[in-house]
Amino acid sequence: MESVFTVNGKNIKFTFTPDERLLFTLRENGYTEVKNGCQEGECGACLILLDDKPVNSCQVLTASAIDKNIKTVKGIGDLHSPHIIQRAFVETGAVQCGFCTPGMIIATYALLRDNPNPTEEEIKNALDGNLCRCTGYVKIIEAVQLAAERMKNRELE
Amino acid sequence: MKDLNWYFPKSIAEAVDLVQQGKILPHAGGTGLLPRGFTGIGGLIDLSRLPLHYSKIENGSVEIGSMSTYAEVVSALMAINPEHILVKSLRNSANTPLRNRITIGGSIAFFPPWSDLMGALLALEAKLVLVGKNSGEFSVTDYVTNKTLREKSLITAVKFNLSNLRSYHYRDIRTKSDYPAFNITILLKQSMNKIENSRVIIVGTVKKYSRLTTIEEYLKNRDVGKINIEEIEKLVEVKFAGKRIDDPEYSSYLAGVELGRGIEQLLRGH
Repeated sequence: MESVFTVNGKNIKFTFTPDERLLFTLRENGYTEVKNGCQEGECGACLILLDDKPVNSCQVLTASAIDKNIKTVKGIGDLHSPHIIQRAFVETGAVQCGFCTPGMIIATYALLRDNPNPTEEEIKNALDGNLCRCTGYVKIIEAVQLAAERMKNRELE
Repeated sequence: MKDLNWYFPKSIAEAVDLVQQGKILPHAGGTGLLPRGFTGIGGLIDLSRLPLHYSKIENGSVEIGSMSTYAEVVSALMAINPEHILVKSLRNSANTPLRNRITIGGSIAFFPPWSDLMGALLALEAKLVLVGKNSGEFSVTDYVTNKTLREKSLITAVKFNLSNLRSYHYRDIRTKSDYPAFNITILLKQSMNKIENSRVIIVGTVKKYSRLTTIEEYLKNRDVGKINIEEIEKLVEVKFAGKRIDDPEYSSYLAGVELGRGIEQLLRGH
């Protein structure tokens, strides 16, 4: 199969098999920031925004994403122009091995877009599909809180 | 997998025509399909372009389009009644990204033994709107027990009444996002000091689900003060098949204890 997809605002043609998962289509086309973790929808490493909703790309058949908007973590910010959330993760020490980080950033981005003042409980709920085996989550929650604070202040400026 | 064809109908009528062909499966969220695999499937019908993505709540009646996700159902009902049984059963189902993908239509058609949805729909005595070979409104109970109803038909909506029944939902899980071994759903109507009506469902049993009519009968018209939780626990006769997580006998015992706790919580608020 062949179709044009919108990834991080750009139209790109992908060739894929009818039973292919979006995770693999994206990675094979250079979007390696989408991490290949459990392939069962449990770990959140492959999280992307599909039409603005966080979903596990390992649980999405590529054909079902035709005509939909895809955003990976690089669509939020990159090394040259990091997003407030990405800076907050680095500064609080929420990035250790870094494998879960793209998914965590996507989940945080979706949370703060819908709820700029989340409680700790709401942060935990929003990140319930993202596993981290390094940090113990404490630093990650701090990073989300710091990002929320800074995004709020930026709006006030 | 070159012989797997995808179809992208733009109308329900077009989708129904495709379903009639057989061996072509509707694709809703796809999360149930992936573990199943594609053996024996000739094609997939993408339902995402159909107008089945809605929630209507009017005059105490709820109608939800079959392509609505768990997250959307929770959000729609939360605004009206945060204590609704579907809010309780779906808000902790799977995890956030999966709840953005799992649809109610797909989940009903798939009905896995770990379903967080079906106990609530069975207890609510919900109805399904089908189109295709079997067009019309059918109870969820009929749909799950009558195989012919599921043939060459498409679920377009789920309907139920916004009841004033108090509700309890329990998922027997080992980790937060793991599949539950079983689910308990209890709906209960109390008038003054008497139980007027109740519905008790356990999903995940050997028969997929069990409606515990013995307990419903025990509770009916009984004074709250005369309800004995230990007696209720003894009335729980459910069989579990596999040993996926626990020993079936232990699961059965655990189901009795948790069911007793649920009824106690509903009756006495603790």
